[in-house]
Formats: sequence, C-alpha cells, structure tokens
Amino acid sequence: MPLSPTQLNALRALLDRLIPADEYPGALASGTDKFILQLLTHSCAAEATTLAQGLTRLDAEANSCHGQRFAALPATAQDALISALVQNRTTTPWPATVSAAAFVNRLIDLAAEGFYADPANGGNRDAASWRMIGYDPLLPVRPSAP
Amino acid sequence: MNASHSIYDVIIVGAGLGGGIAAGVLAEAGQRVLVLERGRDLRYRDIPGDHLRHHRLSLYGDNTTHDPAGHPRVFVDPQGGSRTVFPHEAEYHNNALTVGGGSRVWGMQAWRFHPDDFRMVTRYGRPAGSSLADWPITYADLAPYYERAEHEVGVAGDHTTTHYAPRERAFPLPPVPSTPTGAWLARGAAKLGWNAFTPPLAVNTAPYQGRAPCVQCRQCIGFACPTDARNGSHNTLLPRALATGRCTLITRAHVARVLTDTSGRAIGVEYFAPTAPDSAQTERRTAFATTIILAGGAIETARLLLLSNSPQHPHGLGNHSDHVGRHLQGHYYPVVSGLLPAGFENPNLGPGVSIATTQFNHGNPGVIGGAMLANDFVKLPIIFWRSHLPPDIPRWGLANKKAMRELYLRGIDLRGPVQEIPSPDSRVTLDPHVRDRFDLPVARLSGTTHPETVRTAEFIRARAEDWLRAAGAERVWSSAMDLRLSASQHQAGTARLAADPRDGVTDSFGRVHGHNNLWITDGSLHVTNGGFNPALTIMALAFRAAAKIAAAH
Ligand SMILES: Cc1cc2nc3c(=O)[nH]c(=O)nc-3n(C[C@H](O)[C@H](O)[C@H](O)COP(=O)(O)OP(=O)(O)OC[C@H]3O[C@@H](n4cnc5c(N)ncnc54)[C@H](O)[C@@H]3O)c2cc1C
Ligand code: SF4
Repeated sequence: MPLSPTQLNALRALLDRLIPADEYPGALASGTDKFILQLLTHSCAAEATTLAQGLTRLDAEANSCHGQRFAALPATAQDALISALVQNRTTTPWPATVSAAAFVNRLIDLAAEGFYADPANGGNRDAASWRMIGYDPLLPVRPSAP
Repeated sequence: MNASHSIYDVIIVGAGLGGGIAAGVLAEAGQRVLVLERGRDLRYRDIPGDHLRHHRLSLYGDNTTHDPAGHPRVFVDPQGGSRTVFPHEAEYHNNALTVGGGSRVWGMQAWRFHPDDFRMVTRYGRPAGSSLADWPITYADLAPYYERAEHEVGVAGDHTTTHYAPRERAFPLPPVPSTPTGAWLARGAAKLGWNAFTPPLAVNTAPYQGRAPCVQCRQCIGFACPTDARNGSHNTLLPRALATGRCTLITRAHVARVLTDTSGRAIGVEYFAPTAPDSAQTERRTAFATTIILAGGAIETARLLLLSNSPQHPHGLGNHSDHVGRHLQGHYYPVVSGLLPAGFENPNLGPGVSIATTQFNHGNPGVIGGAMLANDFVKLPIIFWRSHLPPDIPRWGLANKKAMRELYLRGIDLRGPVQEIPSPDSRVTLDPHVRDRFDLPVARLSGTTHPETVRTAEFIRARAEDWLRAAGAERVWSSAMDLRLSASQHQAGTARLAADPRDGVTDSFGRVHGHNNLWITDGSLHVTNGGFNPALTIMALAFRAAAKIAAAH
C-alpha cells in the first residue's frame, strides 16, 4: 500500500470533489481511488512518494486554514482550498520536490484517466461515465479478427 | 552462443509496412525470403483495448511493445539536455513494434502524394539552412505502384472526387460512408469555395480479399480491428508471402548489424533471437542472402546502417556523404477544435475520418507547401477530456463533469499533416552511452525541423479555423505551433533517395549507393514527406523496389 490510512482518506475526499457525484456516479462510486492506488503500485510507482507527500500537505493546508483535516471540511471549503492550491496559493510550506499546483493538477489528470478510461482499468465501474456522455465502443461481442 | 548459418535469396529486416510489402512481392516472384521482425505476431486478443495504453494515447505503455525497457532511445531537447526515453513517451517518436509495424494499428488514411510534393525545390526554391530537395523520381514514376498498393492492400475511396493526383483506375472498395459531420463540413467548404471529398482509407468497406467489412465501432485508431477490416501488411502481402511456402518469418528477431565483405557487398545479417519460440533467452545468429532489404522504419533503419560500420565503411553503410540519419522528419499537425451546433445529431461512428480538402496543399501565399486537412477519427472519452474541451471549461468539479456530458458528442476537430521543410540537423545518431537489451548503442534523436515548417503549419492552422467557422461551429480554438523535432508515427527521410550519391543514401529505387545488393523499403527513403499521411507512398516505393529486385534475380 503506497499510502497511509490518513493519506488515503485525503485522497478519497479530494477525488470526491474533483469528480463529484450528481445524478451520475462520481469518482468514488466508480472506483477511481482504486485505479489510482493500482497505478501507484505499478505504472506510476515512481510518483507514489511525491503524491503521498502532497496528500499530507493537503491535510496540513486544511488544518492551517480550518483546524481540520481535508476530509472533514465541508464541500465548499474543500473546493475553495483546491482552487487555491491549483494557483499555488498556499499557507503552509511545501517541499521543493512537490508544488501544490503540480500535485493537484496531477490528481486532476489521474482522476479523469480512471473515470473516463475503459472499465478494465478499474476506475470506470460499469462504464458509468461512458453512459453519461453517450459513448459505447460498439465492439462486436465475438470479434471476427484472428 | 549458437551460430546457425542459412542461405536465402533475400533477407528483410522488419515485418512492418514496407518490409511486409517487399516480402509478398519477392516470395511470389519465386525468391526464398527470410523476414526478421523484432516484435511479435500479435493476434487481435493480444492487443488490449486499453484506453490509456494504445497507439494514440500511450500514457503508461502501449498495446504492442513487448519489452519496452529493453528498447530505449535518447532524446536531445532543443536546449541540448538529453534523457533516456521509452516507447510510450512522446519523445521516443515511436511507431508500432510488431508484425505489421505501424499498419497493425494505423488510421488507414491512404493518400497519394501530390505531383508537386516530388519537386519542392523546383516549385519553391531551397530555404537557407534547410535540406529541401526534389525527389529523383516523379509522380508518374510512382503512379502504377500507388495503384498496386491501393488494389493489393485494399483502399476505399471515390475516384470521381480525388482529383489532385491523376489516376487510371477506380479504388477497389467504395468510400467510407458519409457522416452528418462530414456533410456539415462539406457545406462549410462549399461556402468558402474549397474542394472537399471523402478521403481514401485502407479499410474494407465491403468484404475484400476474404476478410470482413468494418462494423464502424468506436475504438479504431491505435487499436487492432475486431473484424480485421483494417488493411495493413500483416493481413495482406505478408500472409501472401507465407502462403508461397518460400518465406520464413522469425519474430522477436532483432537485427544487430548488416555484414559486408571487403568489396562492400552485403552478405548477411547478425541478429538476436529466442533460443526457443517462447524462451526469454536469446542467442546471436547469422543469416546469409544474396540481397538484403532494410525496412525497420526511418529511425531504426538509420540506426542499423550506422551500427553496421566496418573498416571499409567507418561511418556506417551508405554514409559516404553524411546523409544517413539526417533530414529526420514527420508531419507538423495543427489541430483546431470546435463545437457542433447544439442539438446536432452525431452518431459518432468509426473510423470517423470522412471529409478532407486538398485546397491548401500547394500555392499558399507566402509559405512553402501546405497540407491536406481532414476531420478526425472517432474520439475516445479520455482523449476528448485531455485535449478537446473548450479552454475556459474548469478542469475539475461538477462544471467539468457537466461539460463532458454536454459537449462530448458536440466535439469536432480538423487537422492536417503539414509538409515539413527538412533540416540536416534533425537527425538520428548512435548514443555514445545508452545501450539496448542486446548491448547495442541506441538511437539518439536531436535537432528540430526547419523554421519554415512552423510558418506553413501556422498558415494551415488558420485555414482549419476558417473551415470550422464557415461550417458554423459554435466556438473555435487551437494552439500555436512551436519549433521542435518531429518524427513519430510519420517518421521519414533518414536515408533519402538521390540520383547522385553525393545527395543522398540510395539510388532512385532504394538501392544503397555503393552497396549493390543492399536495399531499403521504408519511410527512410522519402526525400520530403508530402502534405499527406505517408504510408501509401511507403507502400508504392516498396512495390517498386521489390519489382526491380525480382526482375534482376
Ligand atoms: C496509431 C497510428 C496511426 C497511423 N495512421 C496513419 C494513417 O492514417 N495514414 C498513414 O499514411 N500512416 C499512418 N501511420 C503511420 C504508418 O503506420 C507508418 O508510416 C508506416 O507503418 C511506416 O512504415 P515503415 O515500413 O517505414 O515502418 P514500420 O511500419 O514502422 O515497420 C518497421 C518494422 O521494423 C521492425 N524493426 C525495426 N528495427 C528492427 C530490427 N533491428 N530488427 C528487426 N526488426 C526491426 C519494427 O519492429 C517494425 O515492425 C500511423 C501510425 C500509427 C502508429
Ligand atoms: S471502425 Fe471499422 S476499421 Fe476501425 S476498428 Fe472499428 S471495425 Fe475496424
């Protein structure tokens, strides 16, 4: 497991704001958190440390502004904090290796990659995002290609 | 280490597009052919439908490369910084590493070059600092082989509207069906007074050569085709070669060098291959033949020529006048996005490319050459999210999610392969430090295209914007192009054709100057790369060279 339980909570709370549920499922109901954990143990193992650091910094930012971890904040406060970080507006020191904007932008990408990619990647359960936008690969059930 | 010696008439390095064509022609002409391919012969089920790892979006890998860590390259950025890169990274400038090469997963646009693409200097002059040159052959020399490629590989098109390149025969397959977006763009082109027609695609729009037609799925470019309707060398000329019983295909066979004798004659190749079909262990082998053909793609063919140096040829084979690896080019691709009017009925079916214009391939004021412009392939949701949402849509949150569902089916974009003005400094050399899994120096890519390319690309970008606006797109946006190295899927130019050995690497048929029995049949030969996707021209040159070799044997 590349993340501590606290970091995992922060990740889930963040994903829930990056792609929230509405009349269609959001990132969490689609398994996008598991998709990201899977990437961090395989294809993107080299990024695990910086993303884990970023999640710890996210909680530190939340604590510095609101006295609570990110996951405990109301959605409006979470959104305001994400907007600030995307613009690199921080209230706590970030390590030289992880800028706030680079960290949040990377998670924005990862969330969308999981949510909008093929269900086999693990972050688009039941192809919910595809049904939402009107995409179906229309592949024949039994391919005739050798 | 084991050494096995065998004698063939012809050895072909690379079972990609150009190599596969040559194999078919030569085996059917009675030659005993050995084809060595470093990739695998992948079936449909071996090529995953992974939307993050395929040949249009390869974020964490692709769907054909077997051993990506074993085949690095080195990329040198314009500031001079260099780094080791792997096949899925943009700076690797990959094509597909498998039987069929790029044609296993390609977009199938099968364009003839424009007659003026073969005489760029005659038409425009040579810009200072560029290596722009005329081809030693004309469109008329290649026309019969374009026709062979269209019929033997299988191209769908409408000969009554494809006017820019004169032709004698109709296409063997009816054009891809028209689409609502194509009809909408056609009205836009008509308003502007531009030509617009259905582009030629190498796809079975009807059953052809024993294979099924396209079922218009929505997972097309960059993937394997579920009905095998995507025509490439892997399902046409290569199977024909194998059916003769005279062609042997060895996969996972990586050619390390071409062997020459003291007179410069190519006598064989040295290659690495698995000790047994499924073994991870490899052994070094040697094979001998009367004729050797290189078809590893523009980057690897140049690398192989450089790796095959000898006391007689200290700078590599064919490199007598320092052209090997230079003039590396691809296509600049301006992309212009917009939104179809609200409520537009968009069935969004594959392959998706359904309309093109050749209005701006030549004769553009103030710039050199130009490009064909066309609409794009059916788009995956994640690619739309990454690159085609309007720039002012927030990148996250409910606003982004709503935009995805409201705009996905309204997305439209135009793009065109801009003819590059080659630079001698855009090149493949051997890296002095990094080696591949066989301990061979890897390709080092450095330099940029000539700045004139950027000017032409900006001109074409503006025309694509005009087209979308005239059609009635609700919004139109695009990004400026910058100066960089360009090669990638359309890589070409690194062993250019030249009548005079001082001007290039091979003669006008693809025979390496100074090495009578060493030939090239891939994108390396292109002197310039046309304002069109290059593959049909690669095929035509391969048919022409193979016919010449067959006639001489
Ligand atoms: C996703 C995608 C879409 C494309 N769409 C289009 C399109 O619509 N229209 C178009 O015209 N073009 C398109 N292309 C480009 C087209 O596929 C290439 O131009 C074409 O395949 C190049 O042919 P080639 O013979 O030069 O090389 P390749 O087809 O790349 O073949 C080279 C082969 O040689 C093998 N090889 C290399 N080195 C060695 C070695 N040392 N030993 C053994 N084997 C070796 C490689 O593994 C490969 O199989 C597309 C490509 C891709 C990937
Ligand atoms: S759109 Fe047609 S050619 Fe493309 S993959 Fe699907 S069935 Fe094959």
